[in-house]
Amino acid sequence: MKASLNWLKRYVDVAEHPDTLAHDLTMFGLNVESIESLAPSYSGVVFGTVLECGKHPGADRLSLCSVDAGRGRPLSIVCGAPNVRAGQRVAVAVEGAVLAGGLRIKRSKIRGQLSEGMICSSTELGVGEDGGGILVLDFDDSPGASLDGRLGQTDYVLDIEITPNRPDLLSHLGIAREIAALYRRELRPPALAPLDGGAEFRLEIESGADCPRYTAAFVDGVAVGPSPVWMQKLLRAVGQSPINNVVDVTNFVLLELGQPIHAFDRDALAGDAIVVRRARKGERIVTLDGVERELDPSILVIADAEHAVAVAGVMGGRDAEVRPETKRLVIESAMFEPRLVRKARRQLFLDTEASYRFEREADIGVMAAAAARVCGLIAEMKAGVPDARTAEYVHDRGALESRTVALRVAQTNRVMGTQLAADDIAALLDRLSLPSRTGPDALAVSVPTFRRDLVEEVDLIEETARVYGYDNIGRDETIRCGTFSIPSPEDRRSELVAGHLVARGFAEAITSSFMDPASPGKMRWDDADERSRCVRIANPLTEAQSAMRTSLVPGLLDVLRRNTPAEAEEIRIFEIGKVFIPAPGGAGLPREDLRCTAILSRQADPLQWMQPQRECDFFDAKGEVETLFERFGLCGSVSVSETSGASGRGVRWFRGGKPFAEAFVVARPVLEAFDVEGPVYCFDILVDELPAGAQWPVMSPVSPYPAVKRDLCIVVDDRVRFYDIREAIAGEAHFLDSLRVFDYYRGGHLGEGKRSFTFRLSFRSPDGTLDGMAVDREVQRILAALHREFGAVLRTE
Amino acid sequence: MSGPADRDGVREVARSAARAFAEAGDLAALEEARVRFLGRKGEITALLRSIGELPLEERPAFGETINDLKSEIEGLFESRRSALGANGAEEDHFSGDATLPGRRATAGGTHVLRRVVSEMKAIFFGMGYSLAEGPDVELDYYNFEALNFPVDHPSRDLQDTFYVNRDILLRTQTSPVQVRYMERHRPPIRIIVPGRVYRNETPDPSHAAEFLQMEGLYVDRNVSLADLRNDIAFFARSFFGADAKVRFRPHFFPFTEPSAEVDMSCFSCGGSGCAICGRTGWIEIMGAGMVHPHVFRYAGYDPDAYTGFAFGIGIERTAMLKYGIDDIRRLLGNDLRFLGQFWSEAAPEVAR
Repeated sequence: MKASLNWLKRYVDVAEHPDTLAHDLTMFGLNVESIESLAPSYSGVVFGTVLECGKHPGADRLSLCSVDAGRGRPLSIVCGAPNVRAGQRVAVAVEGAVLAGGLRIKRSKIRGQLSEGMICSSTELGVGEDGGGILVLDFDDSPGASLDGRLGQTDYVLDIEITPNRPDLLSHLGIAREIAALYRRELRPPALAPLDGGAEFRLEIESGADCPRYTAAFVDGVAVGPSPVWMQKLLRAVGQSPINNVVDVTNFVLLELGQPIHAFDRDALAGDAIVVRRARKGERIVTLDGVERELDPSILVIADAEHAVAVAGVMGGRDAEVRPETKRLVIESAMFEPRLVRKARRQLFLDTEASYRFEREADIGVMAAAAARVCGLIAEMKAGVPDARTAEYVHDRGALESRTVALRVAQTNRVMGTQLAADDIAALLDRLSLPSRTGPDALAVSVPTFRRDLVEEVDLIEETARVYGYDNIGRDETIRCGTFSIPSPEDRRSELVAGHLVARGFAEAITSSFMDPASPGKMRWDDADERSRCVRIANPLTEAQSAMRTSLVPGLLDVLRRNTPAEAEEIRIFEIGKVFIPAPGGAGLPREDLRCTAILSRQADPLQWMQPQRECDFFDAKGEVETLFERFGLCGSVSVSETSGASGRGVRWFRGGKPFAEAFVVARPVLEAFDVEGPVYCFDILVDELPAGAQWPVMSPVSPYPAVKRDLCIVVDDRVRFYDIREAIAGEAHFLDSLRVFDYYRGGHLGEGKRSFTFRLSFRSPDGTLDGMAVDREVQRILAALHREFGAVLRTE
Repeated sequence: MSGPADRDGVREVARSAARAFAEAGDLAALEEARVRFLGRKGEITALLRSIGELPLEERPAFGETINDLKSEIEGLFESRRSALGANGAEEDHFSGDATLPGRRATAGGTHVLRRVVSEMKAIFFGMGYSLAEGPDVELDYYNFEALNFPVDHPSRDLQDTFYVNRDILLRTQTSPVQVRYMERHRPPIRIIVPGRVYRNETPDPSHAAEFLQMEGLYVDRNVSLADLRNDIAFFARSFFGADAKVRFRPHFFPFTEPSAEVDMSCFSCGGSGCAICGRTGWIEIMGAGMVHPHVFRYAGYDPDAYTGFAFGIGIERTAMLKYGIDDIRRLLGNDLRFLGQFWSEAAPEVAR
């Protein structure tokens, strides 16, 4: 809401500097977003000094002056003002200047003397009445300095954020009322005595629910013309272009009282009638903006006896528009059901000053007074002759009365944390024009109709706190200690995963929750994959942001493509975030899984002098998962299998038969679809499946006896997998403490179709030192078993 | 040389051998020391010879002790000899230049937003808040209706919303967790709810379509506006430094009343006014207020029995203020060079 300071001053005294007023209003809940200073603008008007001033040789009433206007040499200027003197500081319009009235300054000869500009009066500058002479400046500057916007400061415009609960502040009177409360000053509302009803006119309201109140006032002998200068100035200040006296007065009253007013050309109303009714199906209207619109019964219209002449509360129609030749008016001051107006406004894409106010609920108490105000102003500016009577419809007269809302003193103090007495509270509310009767424990507060936001106790508590001053509350700086913080195992788990990966050299990324619906196809997930169906946004920003992500992989591949410099060597990036899997059948909320996903690419470690740099590979990714599992004590309960999905080959881990993690090399077609250079390795863990610390480790005895190590190198057929051999060894060996592979070799001198593994087996007993011979026998048994199952032989050379 | 029966003397021989080997700077000196202890005329031999002075029954035990001593000294000698290496000088642990850079691991780090959330969590946990969470894809009921945003009311225009369908939307605030949590818990409740929220706004330097928020909720008997002010003031000082001040401006949110916007004294100019705070000396950091009785009714609480407050902090905005970040879009941009600036605990030193 743009509010003019001059306009506000019509209703309340304001002596404060606009900056102070803006600060005080902001702290009072009316957030002033900007202050604009209004001053006339012109080019070519500069600061000057009158060096000499003598008589014009050819005219008694003129002076011939020499003026320093910063032009390198003094200008010769002929001046007709009686008050010009040498030494004065003046505003000089130099050649080419354009003044307030559009006057352009040229070099000219005046009675035979060259005049190279003009010394300006207040009138010429548009900054006030001139009082018969030039404007003598009361400040100093260097000659030639521009005076654009520096003279005749005329008004300030405050741009105030008005929250939807305060439609009463969408008016100058409403804001003035707050200023009066803030500074404890008197409010001077305009004279608003309503006219009598009972005019001869056909006013029909189809539904009192749709239109609770309608006042129609009448004006004859209309003379459409310009509105008075004072009104034009105020309207211009707040960004409204003056149109004519009738339209301007409706706009003025809208911005003065907050009540939208519409003026119809009475002679254009068929049957001399106003009917407020729902539009008929397919009914059409051409609105004031010249657009033909189709209506339907969900939209409320103002009609004459035949057809719609306005969309109620939104915009008038062209047919009954006020024209220069209009002679008679019907002035509408009404209230329409807010939801109906909101619906019509949205359906027709028509945002207007009127709809904005009606949507937030008009003040049902002000309609007749606002109509009277319009009539009064029309009479005052001689734009027409208002009828002494109005036609009035009120659905429920009780709604025009002030409401009484009870306010308990104890509850007020409980919410605010204060110890106010009933009288203190009454005094605070009284400043807001909210009178009350005080009882011992409670107040009966009388709420006028213009405060439609105050309906229950808590609304009054807020007003009490606001006037009391939020910053006067709670200065003791004590923290209540009524609760304990309960640790969240789930939160600790994701912090642990993040901390672990960071220590492992991963950079954390946070990418968008949105996903391009094309991503599942680019990832080559098949239809059976739950990630290929996504939650779709009905009104997305862009098509590429129209789905909720079902995986973090596409986002991370985008990071790799777009945000990773070409020179970056070790790419280790992870994200922990939610993915959204649609509910079965698509109804209801989706499942939200917390996933931890990482990508690895390029080098495995930094370039350094003591070792050759190595490119990362699949086993880097897999090893990170295994290391993380170890951190969470996941060893025995996890099974693993190879996968060969279209998005990439790798392995998948299961817990209780449920897949919950995978590591894979991203398939080449996927990399191409995402325009990423490979190879890229990826792991993806369902964080929700990791143990959340519900169980903690329990000590088991550590064997005090030494381990006995044996290295075993076997050759097997190239199809035999490590996992199977490991299972076989673990199933066979006694006292096996650990098993590690430290060499692996395929083909070459082993011959085609062969591979070899070298294991380091470590044996240990809890009961005593193992005998070397016994361990050798274990190794022989293992070897025999491997030979039996896989045809394994001891590698000899 | 100590007497034969003196067990302490045996230990003393071991200690002086260790000392002598350690002091040997090259193989020649080491050999000299070896001869002194292990040679034919060395101290071990001398000790063995002295066995004859002992009573017969003590001789076997003493012999064993001397043999152990001999093995021990031989071990010391071997390890020292391998340390001195083949060329007889100190082994080179430094490849000849200890100023070469050490073996480095790849550096990683948390995202600056996680860092901010973690700092905030730590502060609020210390004040007795617990953590709660809720879904990003939320029912209209929890996001709006139960928070006192009536259907078809202009208050819904305060937040541009992404819809999935008529009843399901992307939460525009973390506040829906208020009612969800109250439905399942009884007071006292004191929770923070960090999470992602969504607004259908075209991104610009200070607006993003998805961002993080941290909700706070404290419900108990007699929780007041004064308590809210104190908790927020404490948080601001903990997070931004001891000089941080807060001020509360009346505002409107449908689900709190009284409602406030909270400003913090500008960390950059300290309140005198600068470009960062728009010359006001204050920066808006959150919205807050007392839980509206309607919200309590939706949650099944008696508004006459309980009062409470709620607040919502914009995480990105706070991160931008604290770390001087000029464009919110950088926070989702994932430029590693940008993210890396916030990995260290302190401001990185300027490289020379």
